Amino acid sequence: MSEKATQHFIEVYEETRAALPGAGGWLARRREAAIGSFREAGLPHRRMEEWKYTDLRRTFEKASFGPAPVHEGAVVLPERRSASAFAAIDRHVLVFVNGRYRDDLSRAGHLPKGVELHALDDVLHEQWAKDLVERRFDDARQAENIVDLNTALMSDGACLRIRKGVKLDKPLHLLFVAQDAGASHTRNLVLLENEAEATIFETHIGEVASFVDVVTDIVIGDGARLNHVKLQDEAPDAVHLATMRARLAAEAKLSSFTLTLGCGVSRGQSFVLFSGEGAEASIDGAYALRNRQHADQFCVIDHAVPACTSHTLFKGVLDGESEGVFQGKVIVRPHAQKSDGRQMTHALLLSRDAAMNAKPELEIYADDVQCAHGSTVGELSKEAVFYLRSRGIPEAEARRLLVLAFLEEALDLAPHNQAKDALKLLVSEWFGEAAP
Amino acid sequence: MLEIRNLHVTVGGKEILKGIDLDIRAGEVHAIMGPNGSGKSTLSYVLAGRDGYVVTEGSIRFKGKDLLEMNVDERAAAGVFLAFQYPLEIPGVTTMTFLKTALNAQRRARGEEELDAVRFLKLVREKSRPLNVSDDMLKRSLNVGYSGGEKKRAEVLQMSLLEPVLAVLDETDSGLDIDALKTVAEGVNALRSPERAMVVITHYQRLLDYIVPDVVHVLSQGRIVKTGGKDLALELEKSGYAEYGADAA
Repeated sequence: MSEKATQHFIEVYEETRAALPGAGGWLARRREAAIGSFREAGLPHRRMEEWKYTDLRRTFEKASFGPAPVHEGAVVLPERRSASAFAAIDRHVLVFVNGRYRDDLSRAGHLPKGVELHALDDVLHEQWAKDLVERRFDDARQAENIVDLNTALMSDGACLRIRKGVKLDKPLHLLFVAQDAGASHTRNLVLLENEAEATIFETHIGEVASFVDVVTDIVIGDGARLNHVKLQDEAPDAVHLATMRARLAAEAKLSSFTLTLGCGVSRGQSFVLFSGEGAEASIDGAYALRNRQHADQFCVIDHAVPACTSHTLFKGVLDGESEGVFQGKVIVRPHAQKSDGRQMTHALLLSRDAAMNAKPELEIYADDVQCAHGSTVGELSKEAVFYLRSRGIPEAEARRLLVLAFLEEALDLAPHNQAKDALKLLVSEWFGEAAP
Repeated sequence: MLEIRNLHVTVGGKEILKGIDLDIRAGEVHAIMGPNGSGKSTLSYVLAGRDGYVVTEGSIRFKGKDLLEMNVDERAAAGVFLAFQYPLEIPGVTTMTFLKTALNAQRRARGEEELDAVRFLKLVREKSRPLNVSDDMLKRSLNVGYSGGEKKRAEVLQMSLLEPVLAVLDETDSGLDIDALKTVAEGVNALRSPERAMVVITHYQRLLDYIVPDVVHVLSQGRIVKTGGKDLALELEKSGYAEYGADAA
């Protein structure tokens, strides 16, 4: 008998499986296997190294989430500015409400030839979708086993395939709105064939007690390039769990940036596997937390082949009683010579009650590599605040300027200029809200 | 303009200023000289309102108001400016952004209209030219990678832009070669006016060759032990601070 929180999700699966996409096909069998593994392992908890600082079992013991209802009516976007952060950018928009695709709210426009964009249900018969869903990463199994829950319960998602050499003409924006309380399980699939290019924005907003569980599986072909900008800003009683798994072929490039304005408990997991030489991955982010928010960034980069480059920088500010976590690992396999891996995390505590746990790790089995990792936790310099105030800048504004300056190094890594400016504005406004 | 009466200040529980009396009128330039550890920098920080400098006795009135009742940025908006001995490096905040934020914050605090980007840019260019502050410097992070001379010129640029009523220059000559010193002094002299008072804090007489004071005070062991005209500085240059009970000169 599994413990209660795990059992709850198993019961939800039993009750809803007949209505989930892919019933009767390969996915139904895959779901059965996944719920079996999930039952066996249970929800991750703090005695597992990868979940030491974010105990999901406890999270779901304290708050239980039934399935979010299918919402068919009108949707009022939350007033928070994150909802419209990318509104001024010319883009294709797919809207998901409570985790379900809403065609009537989406605006995908005319797509270039060679770009296929569908909801999950419509691609399940395609081999590439099956390949992506069935793929498994061998390492970091513990951190990844929560994906089994997603596989068992996934109800929808955005599936993008871009044929060889084709460029998506403008960014694709996936807007996820939690409109009603409850859990949603989303699976996005992205396949960029050789030399293809795309930019994806991903926004998660909501003002309800939602559990958003989203897994994005990505395969990037030879010389292909994916830019990804994610923004997460959900309710204080919401739980957000995002897993990105990317495999990069030779000379492929992935730049992924996440701005976390957080929710109650959030965890962003990134797994990058290099499968071809000369590939580059940049997994970066910034976060700004307050009150009792908890945000965990977990990042594993696997240099399985030689001559790849990885870069990770997370910078964050923590106010109130918030708690930040960074756990990262760069693995360099024995034959992966000429690997270049960097992993850095810097946090600024704005309050005495805020806390940061950082654990960057290197696991290097090759000898001709360049790898570095580092972590700092500090406070705003009193001297700097005094200097700015001595020129007439009020204290709140001085602190805001210094915090933005601190985050800027990370925000500058967002791989789209207009999106970057939008995120900077959001952070600036976030700070404004902190004033009583 | 500035009236300091019987000012006692402790830092970390230790009394550094032990009863300072000082009167400065508009248009005057006062030099405060003294050996290391005499309390010169403490006086400048107390005027600017830095944390940790505790006034245990006495008063400071500025333009008739109780300066000690005002917080750091209120003092700045009221017209007090401290040019730092060691200006801080602020990575990520460009000098331009900093100057604009500071000027507009002060204007806002005084109920004046804020300057838009165009008017601000025109003003800052006009003020930068005589100080040899290049556009490149303005675009860089504040004081980051500036040479000693560039930092001090940037301080004078801030002063010139913010047009304070009372400017306190704390060891502005430290770390400057003679050419840099002259540029800085010219910048300061250009700001002398009948409405503005200045306090020039220095260990050495050298700076006072270029910024000629009306009054010179000697500070030693937390007290003003002698006050005189500009010739007093020259005297000190010859005899050192030994007669004022200091071991360093």
